[in-house]
Amino acid sequence: MTISTLAHRALERDGLGPIRDKVLAGERISDDDALKLFEVADLAALGALANHVREARHGDLTFYNRNVHLNPTNVCVASCKFCSFARKDDQRASDGYTMSLDEAVEKVLSRRPLGITEVHIVSGLHPDLPFEYYTELLSRIRKAWPELAIKAFTAIELNFFAEKFGMTYEQVIRRLMDAGLDTIPGGGAEIFAPRVRRKVCDDKATAEQWLEIHRTAHRLGVKTNATMLYGHIERLDERIDHMRRLRALQDETHGFQVFIPLAFHPEHNMIGKAFPKPTGYDGLRTLAVARLYLDNFDHIKAYWVALGERLVQTALAFGVDDLDGTVLEERIYHMAGSTVPQALSERTLHQLIRAAGRVPAERDSLYRVLKVHEAPVPKMTA
Amino acid sequence: MRKIRAAAVSFLNAWPLTAGLEGSERVELVLAEPSRCAAMLEAGEVDLALVSVAALTKGEYEIVPGIAIGADGPVQTVVLAGEQSPAIWDEVFLDTASRTSHVLAKLVLDGMGVHPKFTPAPALEGLARAKGTKGALVIGDRAFDVRASHVLDLGREWTHLTGLPMIFALWMARPGTVSPADVQELTRAAQHGLGIRTELARKFAAQKGGDPEKYRRYLTRRIRYGFGPYELQGLEAFLERAAAKGFLPKIQVRFVDDRAPAVRPRRAVSLDTALQKGADGERLDADEAERLDAEASLLDLGVAADLRRRALHPGRRVTYIVSRNVNYTNVCTTACHFCAFYRPRGHAEAYVLSREELARKIDETVALGGIELLLQGGLHPDLGVEWYEDLFRWVKAKWPVINLHALSPEEIWHIARTSDLSLDATIDRLVAAGLDSIPGGGAEILDDEVRRRIAPLKSSTDEWLTVMEAAHRKGLRSTATMMFGVGEEPRHRVNHLLRLRDLQDRTGGFTAFTCWPFQPANTRLAPGDGSAQAYLRTNAVSRLVLDNVPNLQASWVTMGGGVAQAALHMGCNDFGQVMIEENVVSAAGTTFRMDSEEVERHIRDAGFEPARRNMKYELLEGARA
Repeated sequence: MTISTLAHRALERDGLGPIRDKVLAGERISDDDALKLFEVADLAALGALANHVREARHGDLTFYNRNVHLNPTNVCVASCKFCSFARKDDQRASDGYTMSLDEAVEKVLSRRPLGITEVHIVSGLHPDLPFEYYTELLSRIRKAWPELAIKAFTAIELNFFAEKFGMTYEQVIRRLMDAGLDTIPGGGAEIFAPRVRRKVCDDKATAEQWLEIHRTAHRLGVKTNATMLYGHIERLDERIDHMRRLRALQDETHGFQVFIPLAFHPEHNMIGKAFPKPTGYDGLRTLAVARLYLDNFDHIKAYWVALGERLVQTALAFGVDDLDGTVLEERIYHMAGSTVPQALSERTLHQLIRAAGRVPAERDSLYRVLKVHEAPVPKMTA
Repeated sequence: MRKIRAAAVSFLNAWPLTAGLEGSERVELVLAEPSRCAAMLEAGEVDLALVSVAALTKGEYEIVPGIAIGADGPVQTVVLAGEQSPAIWDEVFLDTASRTSHVLAKLVLDGMGVHPKFTPAPALEGLARAKGTKGALVIGDRAFDVRASHVLDLGREWTHLTGLPMIFALWMARPGTVSPADVQELTRAAQHGLGIRTELARKFAAQKGGDPEKYRRYLTRRIRYGFGPYELQGLEAFLERAAAKGFLPKIQVRFVDDRAPAVRPRRAVSLDTALQKGADGERLDADEAERLDAEASLLDLGVAADLRRRALHPGRRVTYIVSRNVNYTNVCTTACHFCAFYRPRGHAEAYVLSREELARKIDETVALGGIELLLQGGLHPDLGVEWYEDLFRWVKAKWPVINLHALSPEEIWHIARTSDLSLDATIDRLVAAGLDSIPGGGAEILDDEVRRRIAPLKSSTDEWLTVMEAAHRKGLRSTATMMFGVGEEPRHRVNHLLRLRDLQDRTGGFTAFTCWPFQPANTRLAPGDGSAQAYLRTNAVSRLVLDNVPNLQASWVTMGGGVAQAALHMGCNDFGQVMIEENVVSAAGTTFRMDSEEVERHIRDAGFEPARRNMKYELLEGARA
């Protein structure tokens, strides 16, 4: 976790000396600093800086969990232009579906023999399902499998519930907590900037609503995640604005567990033609800048389903300490053209992490370490 | 050091494997009849023997990997002969010399629905009695001279029946007697012997009479000596079918462990000093290079390699070329263990591209702004120098704009051997026909310890370098490559880089270097070292060690665009090819695709300015996607 002589030389040359000094002193970097890091086009030096922070916090530990995804319905009243998952109804013709409660619960329970510790539930905004569908879903899973952590419903869904069923955010979250909710996923944040939101997800919850829901959850003791969908029409300053709002809320509540930049996937949606998938370089610098800017976030996650195995392995040298999990049953990215496997075995994850010179650590839903898998062979430093 | 004792037959087809053992310090060679070889092995009088595969039933022998005597089509020296068609034979006399051939004869006849009585008889007697509805099996060198109205070549029949090569003989060892160093010695001998097949054919003709050219063609075009995945399939198919019919007991195939342990003691060197020397373009020695390869962190290497790249290529230009990879044939006799592309000659998927197919590919390439044809193929035993000359002349006449970047050193050696030409003469003729430059393929790891294990019958390190040196001296430019992650140690990769650097000091003929990890078939994530981080590390080390090679290409084809972009920030100044096809890599399961627009987007997005180049790294004015 020291920065080499040569890295110092490169950082000085790039004019990043002052930012480096702040990072090494544990001081917060500014929005301008972040923009400079985005634009410097010196990936190796940027990586050296981000890696310093990553190793200071976590050493070589690289976290993952054993999780399964459940998407009970893809029917959605919203019309986000980057989405390839949503359908307008659950008729066969439109390829829409809605699982019965039995079906959804059974899908989760069938994974029991695999040692899963977390279920990740997100859905479309279904126009007709009653609130009881969601509470019942959670309570039935909770009852049948008490030790399984339930991470469910993005702020967009929670906002939809509040509006549709006439409840406050607090009422919605409390009802779901009573049914078994443990944590809230970070989806639906997209890019907070109103210019971008108007263009790509006009009818979705606003940035303020998204942040208010997470604020409420944190106040109620529910940990949540935060995401950012990058690589479509947003500008770099809008990415920084997005992270600034997250950093500010985190200062207030300390309720976010992890920040997850998500690469936009262009297939089968309305803006894909105009905007190709962001390149791997963009992914790596975004992760590295996030690690340096979000000084109050413990974890930075590279989601392998979105980036691919080779890139997330590379990302382990660019500030990333979390690779999500085994991810059974991923649908949303695959419908947008992702060609990565539907799931990674724990062994493959270990191999991927170890080949990068890191140490795999299985975590639970709350980032408590369940088991550190020390390398069986002498490690190669990363 | 105790020598191991090895028995072998004196048949012509064994000569290329045994000739190089004369005077060996590790192996004492005993020549004997086939049945005697098998008996000596069984009795423990020898440690290993070059014997027919049926001998595997005599003990729990281990097979020496990589080498075999086989055929994937006509073999000429294992035949059934008779006056009438085999379809009506009711008795077949079996030459007493080889049990494997007996079983093969029975399997082939069984496959034809013919079930004669089998009677043992010495070869000449059997042949004399093969009249009317009777046939005879003749094997070995005497089969060359068989004259009969019906001759069934059992090599051809087997390949026809199964689509697989037939393996006749293998080096088999008593368990635990043969060390990795011995395997290296046997492989070295085989490489040597295969390199002097023309000479061996002449020597054989001088001893036994007959046409040396016939023997040369037999050794270079009929018999194949590689033992790779298809050959293993062929062997297993033979053993399974023989067991199913009750001709042989069931046999489990085992191999000698051929992994040598690491040895060389290293001088203590400072990582930091080595990194700084590399970044500043000072020459690294083997110890420094090895320490960097083994221990430096990815980012330290990356920062150092980036400093070095900036010194060599100031500014933000990143080049690429529009060229097309054409693999003119997938038929290959080398049988490298890592290759998912090659097929034996008789295989259903074997091909040689027709002129029509080639013309279509080149027309497409030119239409897409392509200026280069990267032409590589397997080592096809039937293609001689004339075939290549015709092809090159045709390409050059029809598409003068196309640079012919063709034929890896391996193929050039192969052409020299199948056409009985010197290396110089071969290159001269190819250049006269239109060859412009040579791709650096087939280098794999230029360290014979590794090379012999993964590609036993490929040219040796010296041979690969010899072709490059000869080509450079004739004014040709070439590229250099390294395929790592095949179980080698850091010292092997370093040796590879140092050998390239030495040659470059002498000739300056390499324009660029590129490396990539071995891509195992049908797995998304390469095991161990075949990872993205290993790629970036190896690439950066290469930039630091190869201080005299001007350009480093990022390998997006194998690693994907994102990792290749990272490589641009860790030593590379070139984004390789807009590649219209690449069969070899895609056969192993990697299918990254990009057109020139996408290549340029990746270059720009990573903070650089794209520019098109030719093979010599000259910029092409105004050529943009």
